[in-house]
Amino acid sequence: MNIHEYQAKQILVQHGINVPDGAIAYTPAEAKRVAQQISSRGPWMLKAQIQAGARNDGYFLGHSAGQKGGVRKITQISNISYEAAQMLNNTLVTEQTGTQGRLVSKVYVETFKSVKRFFYVGMVINSAVPAVTILVSDVINQDMLKVPSEFLERILHIDLAYGETITDKQIVKILDFLSLDKKHLDSFSDFFSKLHRTFLELDAQMIEINPAGVMKNHEIIALDAKINFDDNALFRHPEIARMQDDYEEDPRVLRALRYGFQYQEYEGNVGCIVNGDDLALECMDIVKSKGLSTACSLNIRGGVDKDSIAEGIKIIMTNPRVEGILINILGGFLRCNLIADGILAATQEVGLNMPLIVRLEGTNKEEAQTILRQSNLPIVFADDTDDAVKKLQISMEEND
Amino acid sequence: MSILVNKNTRVLIQGITGTQASFHVKRSQDDGTNIVAGVSPNYERAEYLDVPVYKTVREAVSGNAVDASVLFVPARFVKSAAREAVEAEIPLIVSITHGVPVHDMLEIKAMLKGSKTMMIGPNTPGIITPNEARLGIFPENINQKGCIGIVSRASTLTYEAVLETNKAGLGQSTVVGLGDDLIVGTDYPQIIEHFCNDDETKAIVLVGKPDNLYEQMAAEYYAKLKNKKPIIAFIAGEEMPLMPTMGYAVDIITHGLSTVRNKKEIMQKSGMIVVDRTSEIHTQLEKIFRK
Repeated sequence: MNIHEYQAKQILVQHGINVPDGAIAYTPAEAKRVAQQISSRGPWMLKAQIQAGARNDGYFLGHSAGQKGGVRKITQISNISYEAAQMLNNTLVTEQTGTQGRLVSKVYVETFKSVKRFFYVGMVINSAVPAVTILVSDVINQDMLKVPSEFLERILHIDLAYGETITDKQIVKILDFLSLDKKHLDSFSDFFSKLHRTFLELDAQMIEINPAGVMKNHEIIALDAKINFDDNALFRHPEIARMQDDYEEDPRVLRALRYGFQYQEYEGNVGCIVNGDDLALECMDIVKSKGLSTACSLNIRGGVDKDSIAEGIKIIMTNPRVEGILINILGGFLRCNLIADGILAATQEVGLNMPLIVRLEGTNKEEAQTILRQSNLPIVFADDTDDAVKKLQISMEEND
Repeated sequence: MSILVNKNTRVLIQGITGTQASFHVKRSQDDGTNIVAGVSPNYERAEYLDVPVYKTVREAVSGNAVDASVLFVPARFVKSAAREAVEAEIPLIVSITHGVPVHDMLEIKAMLKGSKTMMIGPNTPGIITPNEARLGIFPENINQKGCIGIVSRASTLTYEAVLETNKAGLGQSTVVGLGDDLIVGTDYPQIIEHFCNDDETKAIVLVGKPDNLYEQMAAEYYAKLKNKKPIIAFIAGEEMPLMPTMGYAVDIITHGLSTVRNKKEIMQKSGMIVVDRTSEIHTQLEKIFRK
């Protein structure tokens, strides 16, 4: 689960890490009021709150939004509401949002902090070690994008295995890497220990401070903050779970999630219903190889009842982009007859006006096929995924 | 022969009285699995599904020799269940549950290090040696005894691989699901090693996943391996559009290399036979065994 920058900064402050003074605003007038409250003469930073990075280099869709990106430095108080109005209720596109962008519903206003030095800090679960890996670099902001391909040597990795805490020796390594002198030992040690503690306490999977700044008094300040939490551990952190911004989620994704299913949308016109995200991936590969393209896929887990399955199937059937449906189930845990019952219940409610290809294999396959055949629905049966996609392609052409 | 489990493996079930556990334990018993005991902290009777039930793993192992334990406990209790099994020095634990917190897995990995226990999973369908032992939730009705070892990080495509080995008329020696989580107890190299040392296994099918670096690590291991058996490798997801992730940290630790294309390239270079569809697995197997 991701949260917004302003929420991440609240968490950092609670854990004793410095961030600039700031507050959230939902209207231009509110943005101005907040700016006046936090600083009498500025400058201020105005930051669009969406759960994606590279906002600075992003652009807004629509003319009313002006030419500038989603992070702006503002020196005159009189400009705050004008600039906030350009961001609010407009769509921001960055390299991390995809082309459709994200609608900005709130802006964060904070005091501008001048620092003597910027640097990048990442903290992430590293499965290959396994450990919590700290990443430090002098490359900051979106330039980081090029790092994996071009300058990996410009990132320092420090692995902290379970039970380890960061040592002074490791801090010295960080300072050397950034060419900072030992005067910074205490402040860096304090910052990294607190960040690591936050990471562990809150079951984070990723924290990124891009950039962090070194202030004149050697202290570190987090100028940006991204935190991603382990969904599987949210039961331990109800206060974090409450931070979830449903506004950031697709309503169909949320609907599917209510029934315990994963749902994902793409650009094409084929709706796939599978059990297993890996099966969804192979379906996509094969759909693509036949010149078709996936509109959405629904991943059904075992241990659900037929009514939930019907609700899931309805999400796909009522997606306006879908022109043909592929149901591909290899039942183990999930029994095929439940899928058949689910298909019947869903079609009874919303009808079936497009090709539906069904491939069922595994537990209770025969029973499921009998149910579907007796229904007299125009369902085409397939033996395997290749066969199913081939038949779908033919049916969709006929349907045109 | 087979690897890890066979008809003599004495199996303990932790969380035996749960709904899913009951359903699958019954099926495993019908399939011939030698289930010797169960653990359920709040169960008041002495027996369930014809096996003795204990309150703790320690009590269970004091009265019964146990070679392997299957964990059917809820995700939040996997850590403590694993600890009990490790402390009881059970050689193999298989954790079926999905949704185990990743920080718990960091702790479990530390527990396993230097212990006498090997862990498979979590979030795995388990291990199956056809007609001998079924530890987990594999649909045993599709398995056929044979000579192909399957190791997989995928879930449903593992079943697809099973069907492919049947199609080739070869069947399976043992099928091992590594689990589909960021951190799992055991990864490819250990299982490949077991298969290479098993007389019955003639070739290996590996089914990977797009994320992380596990397949790269498998390729690195396989490239250096002497006396290797053929591996047919498959990963789905080549056509999946790149999903934007928040931030750069994940890309950095995987060196931007965790793409399907990259994995396939590295696996091919290591000497594995890489196929683009699961449906090509049986044709490749037929090719190998016609020689």
